Amino acid sequence: MIKPLPFRKQSLLTLNLWNAVIIVGSVMLCALMSLLRLPRIGMALSGIGPNWLLVWVVTWSIKRTSVQGILAGICLGLIQDGLTASQPTHTVGLALVGLLMGRLNKKRFIQEDFISIALIVFGLAFMVEAVAAFQFGLGGTHQLRDVWLHVRQTALSSAIMSSFWAPVVYFPLNRWWERYHRLLGIE
Amino acid sequence: MLFLYRWWERYRLGLVLAILCLGGAWAFSRSQGVGLLEVFRFVSGPAQPDTAKQKQLVDAQTWQIQQQMADLEARNQALQKLLAQDEIKNKKAIAVAILSRSGDNWWQQLTLRKGQKDGIEVGAVVVAPGGLVGRVTTVSPNTSRVLLISDPTSRIGVIVSNSRNMGIFQGQSSKEAVVTFFDKDPEVKVGDAIVTSSLSRLFPPGLPIGKVKTLKLEQNYNPQALVELSVPISKLEWVSVYLNDQTSSLPKAVSSNP
Repeated sequence: MIKPLPFRKQSLLTLNLWNAVIIVGSVMLCALMSLLRLPRIGMALSGIGPNWLLVWVVTWSIKRTSVQGILAGICLGLIQDGLTASQPTHTVGLALVGLLMGRLNKKRFIQEDFISIALIVFGLAFMVEAVAAFQFGLGGTHQLRDVWLHVRQTALSSAIMSSFWAPVVYFPLNRWWERYHRLLGIE
Repeated sequence: MLFLYRWWERYRLGLVLAILCLGGAWAFSRSQGVGLLEVFRFVSGPAQPDTAKQKQLVDAQTWQIQQQMADLEARNQALQKLLAQDEIKNKKAIAVAILSRSGDNWWQQLTLRKGQKDGIEVGAVVVAPGGLVGRVTTVSPNTSRVLLISDPTSRIGVIVSNSRNMGIFQGQSSKEAVVTFFDKDPEVKVGDAIVTSSLSRLFPPGLPIGKVKTLKLEQNYNPQALVELSVPISKLEWVSVYLNDQTSSLPKAVSSNP
């Protein structure tokens, strides 16, 4: 058991405001990063960058319930829709990520270190690509052969880049939420 | 009722927050991310360094290509008795820097640093030194989003420059694309130029797209050719956007006529 840190009652509002600012700010930063390709600092592999919003959803839902995970997945999926195109929607893949992460954490077999986070992100990036491929294949705008070709070309790069850059999002956010929950006296 | 009231008391805050988050994200999605792009445009400053030099280079190349195009089109018109000459005279373009790339791996898009305020409209044709790049799909006051020709949803009517064989061009999310010909036995060879056809409604005719790299004429259905795009889209930093002549006065306009 972790003892709750002492804090004054009037600082509760400030603390929650800070939390809101950090959540909104980090989501906005991830959304902007997903628009960039910076091969010079290793942020793009054959023209494909990390899936920042996926990393954010994983970080968010690793210590939360599936419902919260799904909700975050839907919200960030809608944001990604706004940044690219909403047909087919990105919400399905990311909501599934939130659901899976929410389920996983109850079984307690995840070690919360960089390696397991990177591995989880690696696997889930493949899943998100597969879901997108399924949607594009069903949508009728793309031929199945082209979709399959595209998945083969991009899924691995996306998974490698996402898992490589996952700690950049995971480490500071996780530190903050640990602190936040301790200050609130939860857990 | 008491049960419902207790439930409400307990989950009130979470429910309100959840609805707020969902509503906000939905509104963002509906607005095509315009607000965030405008913020990004504002945060990333007025323009990148050595812009003057790059602009000069782009302008010079655009001018050169437009001259060549105007010449070719003029000759073509005489032969085909088309009355598109006014359009060529009035054709104007602005040089625009690229703000960002696509937000995922599936769509081939660009965001540009200029929008409605500079006279860019939905459907405007985007070119770069080398040929066609794409088409504007959404605009905000200071940014605009371009769907590239390398996107698989981009389908363009094209012709082989030498033999006038018609076909349909389709992007492949890479430097290469596929042209499917209508004729069973098209006169086409490796190295032939592919340009937009006069039947294309979205693009003006005669814009170069790429060169034929390999031929797959033994296809069962229709003969195909693999085309290498003439514009190195992944390395682009500047593009030119065509403007309609009814838009506002343009200090930086690059006219096709000297």
